[in-house]
Amino acid sequence: MNAILDEVDRAFLSEIEDGIPLVREPFRDIARRLGITPEEVLSRLMKLHESGVVRRFGVLIKPNNVGLPVNALVAWKVPENRVQEIGTFLSTFKEVTHCYSRKTIPGKWEYNLYIVLHAQERGIIEQLTRKFSEATAVNDYLILYSTKELKKTSITINTASASRISTNQHKPFKS
Amino acid sequence: MIQTAFKLRKTLVPDEIDRELLQILQDDFPMVSRPWKEVGDKLNISEDEVIARLKRLREDGVIQKVGPVLDSSKIGLTATTLVAMKIPESRVDTVSRIINQYSNVSHNYLRDHEYNLWFTMTASDNEELSALLNEITEKTGVAQDDILNLPTLQRFKIDVRFQLAQTAQGERNFGRS
Repeated sequence: MNAILDEVDRAFLSEIEDGIPLVREPFRDIARRLGITPEEVLSRLMKLHESGVVRRFGVLIKPNNVGLPVNALVAWKVPENRVQEIGTFLSTFKEVTHCYSRKTIPGKWEYNLYIVLHAQERGIIEQLTRKFSEATAVNDYLILYSTKELKKTSITINTASASRISTNQHKPFKS
Repeated sequence: MIQTAFKLRKTLVPDEIDRELLQILQDDFPMVSRPWKEVGDKLNISEDEVIARLKRLREDGVIQKVGPVLDSSKIGLTATTLVAMKIPESRVDTVSRIINQYSNVSHNYLRDHEYNLWFTMTASDNEELSALLNEITEKTGVAQDDILNLPTLQRFKIDVRFQLAQTAQGERNFGRS
C-alpha cells in the first residue's frame, strides 16, 4: 500500500498530534483549520489508518494512573536460531506491550530479545518472567525496572520532517 | 502557592463507566463525525457526559490524548535503536536534558542497573542514527565504554493497550490465572 503522504495529510497529522479536541464534532474544527470538509478529514483518517501510517487511533492511556505503575524492560539471551520462535511466542501475551530483537555487542552485552511489561507490582513482573522462562527454557534474562520516566512521547510527522531524508523520497513501504 | 502545596493528592479511581468508555475508545474508536455520541449511545450516557468524563480523565492524567499513534517506519523513520548509558547520579539531570531535546528520542527512563539511563531513538536510516548518537555522546561527554547501542533487528510487537473493563479477551494471559 502506498504510504506517500501529501501536504494535507501532513498538515492533518501535525494538527492532531496532541489529540483531537473534546467537542461534539471534533473533526469539524480540524477541517476548518485545514480548509477542507469534515467528511474529507474522516476519509483521510480512515485511509491513513488502513495504510498503517496511523498504526492506531483512539485514547492513549497512561498505565501508571490506571493501576499499572510498574514497567520493566526484560532482556533475554536467546539462542540465535530460536529468536523467531520465542519473539512470536512472547508477543502473544497482552502484558507484553513491546517485543523487539536487537543487535548484541559480543563479549560485552549479549542480550538479543527485549520485551516491555506493565503490571500492578514487581511481584507480578517476576512471576510472569519466571513463567516465560520456564515456557521457553531460556534462563538467562535481566529485569530492568524503570525507576523514573524522563521522557515519553510519540513520534510525530514533524520528527520525520526534521530528519535528513524527507518521506517523499522514500519508496512506498509494503504493508 | 501555599494552597497548591497543601492540596490533597487526588486519588484516581476511574469508575466502571469510565473504564468501559476508555476501553471502547482505546480498542474500537468510532471514526464518525460525532464519536462521543456514538460511544455514549453504547453506554447509555449523553454525548456531553462523555465529553465531561474525558476532560476529567485528561486532567487527572489518566488519558494522555485521544489521537493517532503513527508507525514510524511508514513515515520514513526506518531505523530505531535502544541506547543504554552509565551515568553517575549527579549527572543524570544534565545528561537527560541534553538527550531529551532531540525529537528523535521518544522514550527515556531511569532503570535500576549499572547502565541506568535507557532511551529509544528513531531516524531515517542507520547512518543518521549513528550521527545522532555521536552528537549526543559528544555533547554529554559520556565515555564510549559506558554506552550500549542496541539497534532494532526485528519488531515482533508494539501494542500499548491496556485491559480496563471486564470484556472478552482473546489474548493469552497466564499472569492472572
